[in-house]
Amino acid sequence: MAAKENKGSYVISRSSNTRMASFIKRIFVKIHSAVNSWERNHSLCRRKSLHRDVEQEELQHANTNCLSSYYSVFVARLAIMVMLAILIGLLTLLTWHFTKVYTRTSLNALAYGLRYELLQRPVLRMWSVLNSTVEITTAQVKISEYVMRKYDKPENQAQQVELYEVMRDVTWALFASHRALNSITIKYKNGFVQAFHRDPRDNSTYYIYNDLTNYTMAGPYDVNSSSSHQGWNDQTIRSNISAIWYREPLDPDTGEKIGKQKAIAPDELINIAGISQVPYGAASWHVAVSKFTNSPLLSAAMPVRDASQESIVAVVGVTTSLYSVGQLMKELVGFHSGHIYLTSQEGWLLATSSTTPLLTNTSTGPKLMMAVDSQDPVIQTGAKWLLKAYGNKPPPSHEVHIEHAKLGNQLYYIDSFFLNLKRLPMVGVLIIPRKYIMGKVDERAFKTLMILISASVCILVIGCVCIFVLTNGVSKEMKLRAELISHLDARRKAEASSNFKSQFLANMSHELRTPMAAVIGLLDILISDECLTDEQHETISQIRRCSTALLRLLNNILDISKVESGKLVLEEADFDMGRELEGLVDMLSVQCKNHNVETIIDLSDDMPKVVQGDSARVVQIFANLISNSIKFTTSGYIILRGWCEDPHSFVENGNFSLTRKALWPGPKNKLIQQKSQEKSSCKKDNRVILWFEVDDTGCGIDPSKWESVFESFEQADPSTTRLHGGTGLGLCIVRTLVNKMGGEIRVVKKNGPGTLMQLYLLLGTSEDIPLENYKLKYADHNLKVVLALNGSMCRINLSKWLSKIGVHTWDACEWNELTHILQELFIPPSRYTQNLTYECSKVESISKQEMEASVFIIVVDIGMLNLSTDIWKEQLNFLDIFYRSAKFAWVLNHDTSNTIKIELHNRGHMLVVNEPLYKTKMIHIIEAAIKERSISLRHGILGGDTHELLEIDNVHSDPESSNDSEKSELNSSSTGIVQVELTRRTLSSSNYGIVNNCFLEPTEVSSGRNKSGPNEPFPVAVNGGSSQEKRMTSNGQKSLEGVRILLAEDTPILQRVATIMLEKMGATVVVVGDGVQAVEALQNPMESGTTTQTKMQDPPQYDLILMDCQMPKMDGYEATKAIRRAEMGTRLHIPIVALTAHAMSSDEAKCLEVGMDAYLTKPIDCKLMVSTILSLTKLQPNSLIISSIK
Amino acid sequence: MAAVSQLQRQFVDYTTSLYNEEYLDDQFTQLQKLQDESNPDFVVEVVSLFFEDSEKLLNNLATALQQTSVDYKQVDSHVHQFKGSSSSIGAKRVTNVCVHFRNFCEEKNLDGCLRCLQQVKHEYILVRTKLEALFRLEQQILQAGGSVPVME
Repeated sequence: MAAKENKGSYVISRSSNTRMASFIKRIFVKIHSAVNSWERNHSLCRRKSLHRDVEQEELQHANTNCLSSYYSVFVARLAIMVMLAILIGLLTLLTWHFTKVYTRTSLNALAYGLRYELLQRPVLRMWSVLNSTVEITTAQVKISEYVMRKYDKPENQAQQVELYEVMRDVTWALFASHRALNSITIKYKNGFVQAFHRDPRDNSTYYIYNDLTNYTMAGPYDVNSSSSHQGWNDQTIRSNISAIWYREPLDPDTGEKIGKQKAIAPDELINIAGISQVPYGAASWHVAVSKFTNSPLLSAAMPVRDASQESIVAVVGVTTSLYSVGQLMKELVGFHSGHIYLTSQEGWLLATSSTTPLLTNTSTGPKLMMAVDSQDPVIQTGAKWLLKAYGNKPPPSHEVHIEHAKLGNQLYYIDSFFLNLKRLPMVGVLIIPRKYIMGKVDERAFKTLMILISASVCILVIGCVCIFVLTNGVSKEMKLRAELISHLDARRKAEASSNFKSQFLANMSHELRTPMAAVIGLLDILISDECLTDEQHETISQIRRCSTALLRLLNNILDISKVESGKLVLEEADFDMGRELEGLVDMLSVQCKNHNVETIIDLSDDMPKVVQGDSARVVQIFANLISNSIKFTTSGYIILRGWCEDPHSFVENGNFSLTRKALWPGPKNKLIQQKSQEKSSCKKDNRVILWFEVDDTGCGIDPSKWESVFESFEQADPSTTRLHGGTGLGLCIVRTLVNKMGGEIRVVKKNGPGTLMQLYLLLGTSEDIPLENYKLKYADHNLKVVLALNGSMCRINLSKWLSKIGVHTWDACEWNELTHILQELFIPPSRYTQNLTYECSKVESISKQEMEASVFIIVVDIGMLNLSTDIWKEQLNFLDIFYRSAKFAWVLNHDTSNTIKIELHNRGHMLVVNEPLYKTKMIHIIEAAIKERSISLRHGILGGDTHELLEIDNVHSDPESSNDSEKSELNSSSTGIVQVELTRRTLSSSNYGIVNNCFLEPTEVSSGRNKSGPNEPFPVAVNGGSSQEKRMTSNGQKSLEGVRILLAEDTPILQRVATIMLEKMGATVVVVGDGVQAVEALQNPMESGTTTQTKMQDPPQYDLILMDCQMPKMDGYEATKAIRRAEMGTRLHIPIVALTAHAMSSDEAKCLEVGMDAYLTKPIDCKLMVSTILSLTKLQPNSLIISSIK
Repeated sequence: MAAVSQLQRQFVDYTTSLYNEEYLDDQFTQLQKLQDESNPDFVVEVVSLFFEDSEKLLNNLATALQQTSVDYKQVDSHVHQFKGSSSSIGAKRVTNVCVHFRNFCEEKNLDGCLRCLQQVKHEYILVRTKLEALFRLEQQILQAGGSVPVME
C-alpha cells in the first residue's frame, strides 16, 4: 500500500510526465499480472507436491496472503527502480550538458577571437601592401615631377636623353629600395616607356624600354580632352607594333647592366600603366594579372603632371605582387590549419592560403578566377556554401560568422570580413575546420558522456540490486508478518475452540448431570420400592453403582477442565482431618474387603485435630489415591499414614526412617523460607506440614513412570485401562490439588512390592488445640487389651500404639491363640500373674481385686469365628465365660450376616464396630468400656448398658458428624463437587448406619433388603441413602411434616409442581411470584417482630425458602441479598435454597456468594430436594428417626 | 372390559412412544406420580398451565424478535423461562430447542433465533397435540370405567 501511495505521489510530482507515468503504471499492472499467474502456478505445484493432505482452506488463506504481499513488494520494487533510473538519467544528462555547454561557449568566444585575428592579419597585410604600393607610386610621381620640372622643356635630344637617364636612375633607386615591387613603369607623353621588372620565376631583374625612334614630341596631354585620352590607352601601346621593346637584365643589387639588351615580343611585355588608368587624374589601382607571376598583381597608377599642374606628362605605374599576402596566409594556415582567401567584392579570388593557382589560363591569357571556381575543394565548397547561403546579396557589413557549415563531410567555421577600400573593396573569408577548435572539446564531451552513461548504468544496476536486497528484507518481513497474522488467526481460532470446549463442557455439565441425577434419583426410588425381588434389587443396585461411577467420571472430567482453566479456588475452613480421613477409609475399606486387602489408617497423635483448608479437596486427594491403590492391590494391605512435621519443633517419628525424609529436601526449607517471609506479616498464622503416605502392596509402578503417572490421561501401563478401567485423570487431579495446597506428591522407592506415594500438604492450624494425651488419660484405668484381629498390619499398628500410650496388649491372629491367651489370662490366675509379671516388669502379682480394678477389653474380629459352620455359636459360648470379667468389642465386616448380629445382640455384646478398626474407634471402645466400668462400679450391676451405649454412640455420631458435615456444607464456598458431598453425606449416614445397626429393632434390620452384595463398591453409600429412604417411606412419605416453606417461583408450572411435591412430603408451602413478594412475605412478621425485642427471638414464619434465581421484578440473588440484609443484626438465619436451571458451578458459587445455603437444579429432583431441605432445617434427621420410632 | 384393556394398552403404547421419541422425559412421570386423590387433575392442571404460559411466552418472543433492535437479554430471559417451564413438565424436545435458542441469543444471532423460534413453536405444538391426545385417551379410559395405568 505504501508503495502504491509512494508511486502515486511520484506521479503527481511528475505532473509533466503524467502520460509517461500512466504508461509505467500500465506496464506495472501487466508485469504484475504475469508475476501473479506465475506465482499462482508455482504455489499450485508446490501445494501439489508438498501439502497434498494439508487443509486446503488454510493454505488458500496463506496463499492469498502471500500473493498480496508479493504484489505490493513487487510494485514497490519496480517503482523505486524506475525512479532511481530516471533520477540517474537526469543527473547524467544535466552533468553532461552543463559541462559541455560552458566549455563550448567559452571556447566559442575564444575561437571567435582567434578567427577574427587570423583573418585580420592577411587583410591588414593586404592593406599594408596597398598602402606601400600607393606610397611608392606617390613617391615615384613626386620624384618624376621634380625631375621633369628640372628638365622642363627639353630643347634637344640630348637633354631628352639626359632626362630619361635621370629618370631611370631615380626609378631604379626607388625600385631597388622596395623589393616587394613587381615593377615600376613610367610612360611618357610621347610614348616612351621605362620600366623595371622583377621576374619572380628566376628572380632576375630587367629594365624594359622601347626605342625612341617612334616617339614623337607631342605636346603634353590635355587631361580634359578626350582625344588625347584616346591616345593613351593600352591598345595604342599594344598595337604600337611598330615600336620595338627591349629588355636588359640587370644586377638586382646594383642595377648594373649585366646582359645584352634584346628585343622582346610584345606579348612578353608587362603591364604598362597608361593614361587610361588614370582617367580622373588621380591615383588608381586595380588587380591585374601577368603571365610572369601566378598570383594576381596589384597595380597602381598615378599621373605625373607638369609644373603648372595642368597636363599630364607621364603616368607612373607600380605593380606589387599579392604573393606575400598569400604567403602570410599560408603561414597562418600552416600554423592554425584551415583555409583563408581574399576576394574582391565581385568574388574574384585575390589570395588564398592554398597552393592552387589563382589564375585561369584562357586563350586571352591568364585571368582571375572566381572563388567558386577555385581548385581547392574546401575553398570552392566554402565559397559555394556562402553563395548559397547569401546569394548575391551579402549582408550589409559583409561580416559573416557561421559555426556549423557542413562542407563535404566535415563541419567548418566560416567567417568573413569586409575590407572597404574605396577603389578595391575586398572580402576575406576564413574557413577553419570545427575539429581544430572544437575537436578536443567534442571528444572530451563524448568521453564524458560515455563515462557518465557507464557510471550511471553501474549505479543503476547497483541501486537496483540494493533495492532488491533491501526490499527482499521488507518482503521477508511482510511474509513473516503475514505468517504472524495467520498464526494469530490460528491462535484466536484455537482459543475460540478452547472456549467452545469449555462452553461445551459447561453445557454438557448441565446436560449430563441432569439425566444422571434423574437416573440416580429414580434408581433410589426403585430401590426403596417394597415389592422387588432380590434379583431385581441386585440389578438395580448394580445400575445405581454404575451410574454413580459414571457421575464420578463426569465430575472428574469437569474437575480437570476446571483445574485447567484455573477456576479452582480452595476454600479455607476448619475441619477435622482425622475424622474426614477415617470416614474415607471406612467407606473405601468396604471395597478393599472384596480383594482381601486390609485398609489401615495410621495417623500419628501429634497431628493437629483441626486444620484449615478445603476438606472436600483433601478428601478427594485421598479418595483418589486410596481407590487407586485398591484398584491395583489384590492382596496385602493399604496403609494411609499421616504425621505432622512442625517446622519449629522437629519431632522424630518412629515410623519413618531418616533416609526417607532425606529424599524430600524441599518442603521444610521451603516452609522455613516462607515462614521467614511471612514472619513479619502474620506471625500468628502457623502453618504445618502434614505428611502422608499411601502404601500398598499392589503391582507397583515402574520407576520410569513415577513422574508421568501424574500427567493427564496417563496410566502406568496401557493394559491397566483394559484391566481396571479409569480415565487416568485421578492422579492428575491429585497432583494439581496437592500443588495448590502448597504441597508435593511423588512416588517413593519402597522395599518390597507395591507403591509408596508420599505427599505433604501445607495447611493452616487455626488455634493450638491441645493434643489429647491418651497416656495420661488412660494411665489410671489400668487398661488391658486383647487384640484378636485377622489383619496383621492393623493389629501390629494398634498394639504398637496402645503400648505407646501405656496399655498392655496381647495379640492374637487366630481363634486358638485367642483362647490360649484368654485361658492364660483368666482361668488360671496364677499363670496369668506369672505372665503379667513377665510382661510388665515391676508389677506385683495381680490379685483378684486388682483384676477387678483393671479394665479388660477384648477386641474380637468377627472373622475369628468360624462362620462357615455352626461352630461360631460354640465359640461364642466359650467367650461368654469371660463376659463378666472383660469387655468384649466386636469388629464386624460389612457383610456380616444379620443372624450373627442378632445373636451377638442377644448375648449382650453391645459394643460392635465396623471394619476397619482404627485409633478413633479403639478410643471409643476404650472409653465405652471405661464408662461402663464406672457405671457398673457405681451401680454394682451391669445393666441397662444399651442406653448408655446408645448415648455414647449418639455422642459420637450425632453432634459431631452431622453437625460437622452440615457446617462444612454451609461453608462450602468453593465449588461443591457432588461426589465429595455425596461421599460426605454418606459418611455421616454410614455412621448412622452403624448406630442403626446397634439399636434399631432387629425386625426392621432384618426386613431391610438393602444388605449389600459382596461385590458392591459403595455399599455404605447405598446403605446410608437407602436407609434414609426407608425412613422416609416408613414415615409414610411425610418426612417434611411440619416444615414451613416459602416458595418463590414465577413460573406457574414449577410453582404447582414444587408445591405438590412438597405438600406430599407434608410440608406447608406458601407460594409467592417474585423476589419482592418473597422479601415482603418474610418482612411482615419481622417488622412486627422489631417492635419488641422478645419477638425477635420467636421462630420465623418459615423454616426454609426455595428461591428461583431468575424471576421478574427482583431475581433470586437480589431477594436473597435483601433477606440477608434484613437478618443482619439478628440471630435469625433462614435457610435459602436456590432453584435454577443453570447447572454450572459458577452459578452455584454465585448463589452461595449472595448468601444462599444450598442449590438445586431444575428440573427438581424430589429426593435431592427433600434431603437438602432436611439437612438445612432445624429438624435433624436422627431426631426425626427417634420420634418416628416412638 | 376388553375395550378398557385395549384402551389401556393403547395408552401404554402411546406413552411409551412419547418417551421413546423423547417428547417427554421422567419429569413427566414424576408429575404423574404426584397426582393422587387430593389432586386428581394435577397433571392436566399443570400441563394446561404450561400451555397458557407457553402461548404467552411464544407471543412475547415473536414480538421481541420482530423489533428493529432486538433486546437479546429479554429474549434470553423469555427463553430461559420457557426452558424452565418445559423442563418442569418434562417436554424434553422443547427444552432441547430452548438450549439451542439460548446459545443463539448469546451469540446475538438473529437468524438463528428466528429459526429456533420456529422450531420451538413447532415442537411446542407437537408436544401439545401429543399431550392432548394422551389426555383424551386418559379420559376415554376413565369413562370406560378403567383406571389409568401407571407408567414406570
